[in-house]
Amino acid sequence: MSDALSFLKKQIKENIQTYAILFAMAFVWLLFSFLTEGMYIRSQNFSNLFRQMTVTSFLAVGMVLVIVTGNIDLSVGKVAGFVSVVAAKFQDDIWFNVMPNNELLTTILSVLIGIGVGTIFEAIQGYLIAYLHVPSFIVTLGGSWILNGAILVVTEGKTIAANQPIFSYIAQGYLPPIAGWIMAGALILVLFLTMFQSRRNKMKYGFTPAPIVLDIARTIFLSIIITVYVYIVNQYNGVQFPVLLLAVTAVVMAYISNNTPIGRYAYAIGGNREAARLSGVNINKSIFKVFVFMGVLCGISGVVLASYVGYGTIAAGSGYELDAIASCILGGTSTLGGIGTIFGAIIGAMLMASLTSGLQMLNVTAAWQYILKGIVLVLAVYADVYLKKSR
Amino acid sequence: MPNDIILDIQNVTKQFPGVTALDKVSFRIKRGEIHGICGENGAGKSTLMLILKGVYPYGTYEGCIRFNDEELKFEKGSIRQATEAGIAIVFQELTLVMNMTVGENVFLGREPREGAGINWNKLYSDTQAILNKYNLDIDANALVKNLGVGKMQMTEIAKALSENAKILILDEPTSALTEAEIGKLMEILKTLKSHGVTCIYITHKLPELFRITDSVTVLRDGKVITSQPTSQLNEEMLIKYMVGREIKERFPKRKNKPGKVIFEVNGLRAVDPNQLNKEVVKGVDFNLREGEIFGIAGLMGSGRTELVTTLFGEYGKITEGKLNLHGEDIHIGGSYDAMKKGISLVPEDRKRFGLVLIQSIQKNISLANLDQFSTAYSINFNAENKACDSFSQRLAIKAPNLSVMCQTLSGGNQQKVVIAKWLMSNPKILIMDDPTRGIDVGAKYEIYKLMNKLSEEGIAIIMISSDLEEIIGMSDRIMVMSLGRSMGILEKKDFDREKIMIMATGLMKNHNNVERRRFHE
Repeated sequence: MSDALSFLKKQIKENIQTYAILFAMAFVWLLFSFLTEGMYIRSQNFSNLFRQMTVTSFLAVGMVLVIVTGNIDLSVGKVAGFVSVVAAKFQDDIWFNVMPNNELLTTILSVLIGIGVGTIFEAIQGYLIAYLHVPSFIVTLGGSWILNGAILVVTEGKTIAANQPIFSYIAQGYLPPIAGWIMAGALILVLFLTMFQSRRNKMKYGFTPAPIVLDIARTIFLSIIITVYVYIVNQYNGVQFPVLLLAVTAVVMAYISNNTPIGRYAYAIGGNREAARLSGVNINKSIFKVFVFMGVLCGISGVVLASYVGYGTIAAGSGYELDAIASCILGGTSTLGGIGTIFGAIIGAMLMASLTSGLQMLNVTAAWQYILKGIVLVLAVYADVYLKKSR
Repeated sequence: MPNDIILDIQNVTKQFPGVTALDKVSFRIKRGEIHGICGENGAGKSTLMLILKGVYPYGTYEGCIRFNDEELKFEKGSIRQATEAGIAIVFQELTLVMNMTVGENVFLGREPREGAGINWNKLYSDTQAILNKYNLDIDANALVKNLGVGKMQMTEIAKALSENAKILILDEPTSALTEAEIGKLMEILKTLKSHGVTCIYITHKLPELFRITDSVTVLRDGKVITSQPTSQLNEEMLIKYMVGREIKERFPKRKNKPGKVIFEVNGLRAVDPNQLNKEVVKGVDFNLREGEIFGIAGLMGSGRTELVTTLFGEYGKITEGKLNLHGEDIHIGGSYDAMKKGISLVPEDRKRFGLVLIQSIQKNISLANLDQFSTAYSINFNAENKACDSFSQRLAIKAPNLSVMCQTLSGGNQQKVVIAKWLMSNPKILIMDDPTRGIDVGAKYEIYKLMNKLSEEGIAIIMISSDLEEIIGMSDRIMVMSLGRSMGILEKKDFDREKIMIMATGLMKNHNNVERRRFHE
């Protein structure tokens, strides 16, 4: 048992930043629950809060790797916005004329086209950045202006409706409660199976795995979180489809960043570009790939955005890039590159969404919401700098 | 009445963990003289300069330094104190802001004011006055980036003089200068002398010492070997002082004999890929045998690093010459390609080129070798861990576990991590660029033992080193380079420190094939 304790202590020490932000999160929730006399953690608000954070979270998840490689992407908001109007245009206009009575197929096609558009645009930007060595700041700034124009061209300055039932389900749908429970059960089963599998693999290679008590405790802890989450959202409408989509995407991206050479190279490039180059890492290709991933995520984000608002508008996606960057930074991504996690970015996005939602409930005006969010971001990063120095 | 000794260094000792950089150093510098300091790389010259500059403040060294009859007591964290006291250093690496004018650079940080703004007229007229006073032929309004290296250096000197420097220290001032620029610099130094400015001139180029200095101090292994008027010295004496006599048994014995030739470099010439008119490798021929340790000696700027990074496919653009590996002519398209062909490079300056300091030992070791335990879609962590662990044990990397971040390791252990990374790629040829630089004696010995073991396994090692004893102690053959050229290859029986030093300083060539062949063409 003392073994497990020292292991736990080490874990906490090594991931102090993650715990700090989780702590900040808990603090924000408690504070708003208190201020709103419990309204804040009612299942309806809780459910909406998670749904609201999805659009920028997709962007933040992609942005982590971009920042980790030492780049930045200022165009993601507009890419998502452009994808949303393109998807809306197809939904509302083009499919209606081509195949009016095929809603499922047209929705699938709209989604694919949306993701394709985002990916292609980011791939072009990625090519300019990675292979032609134009600074990412400039390329993506230019890119966002171009898309701003392109959005006006597609929408012709008008709002396009995208509120067909199946399309709307993407961002507004809920799983029936029973499906939520089945999914939770399956997930918990998978967690336990993976845990045992990973222990077996370790032993096969002759390593001593972490104390089993700890592994089990951690898996149980995760299972409890899943259960509590599903319980709360089932009180309202059920598991939100966009949140499920985000969870899957985040797991895939976390896997890419931790478990594949692409991810490993991205961190190495950000940590020391020269050392990575001399180690045979293809810098250009790696950075290009990271921007392609960013494109896919912009595509998903744009589709969810169109479905969430139900419209494609000329202002779609404006300013989302800054939310995404702020989420990454709050989640511990280093602006110098080389450091940052997907999990952190999601928590960062959640923190921002929690603040916004809480302030809205307290009827704080938009002006003061911005001011407070700005202060929180700067203070949070200052606290991080301070913590690092004192350690 | 001021004493005629301006700088009196008494018994200065400076320790670093595991190394004594300066050992009871004492010498005096007379007012108004040009005083040369010479010594091999690592003799302690830079440490001494950094003490005079206040980078190592008072209290971090033992002994006493008296400047103008007052003891220097620089506090920690303030580089300005040295400048204010009147000590100015012009470093080898110039510290100018390229996009500013000469005048702006000279007065950077202490611009003359006019109300809230800068009095530009005064700034430029003051700068021009200083430039004229010391015969520095530069326009105060010129942009620094448009100047040649020689004039940039003059700008640095002008900056130092504008701050009323009593003593001007020049660290390897001629390493990047052309012959004409060197001549010009010598003139300037004479002008400064006539104005009563004392100069310390650090170099390892012996002819310059005789050309300009009044007296010379020789440092070796952190000790003052001699300090006397230049008129009493000659080149042979200086070289003897610089390299010393005895070679201690610092190097483990090796049993194997080199085998057959596996790699040949013929008439290699290469240019800087960013400045195609700048030739960095100017004719190099050598071959490399299985299980051989092939030393490359040369001073800073001799082109040795440029040569090996070119062989690794990562730097120079080859304009002439051939590389031949196992009897086949090859082209190396970059680090990945080099590794695939069995060539690995342990680069110089591990912190800049060798390691991702903010990552773990394991991630650093595996970075160049992920292919070995991963597909495009997943890394097998257990296989990775196991492989890294076995290399970590083989090299005796001292760390609690492999997830320790590299920035917390000692220099010797960091170097072992870099070597482990490259050994894992299973090379036939291992290039090591100054592998023992800045690490303590014990770790050096371990690296020597490892090198011997590798060569016994048949790996051919190319070792660059700034340490003459090391390169003589470890190598089977030594190629000496100077200014991008091979000055000749010495067989083991011909190893001689003085000979190597003479070849490296460019004073003499050993049967220089390259030069001769070019002559015939």
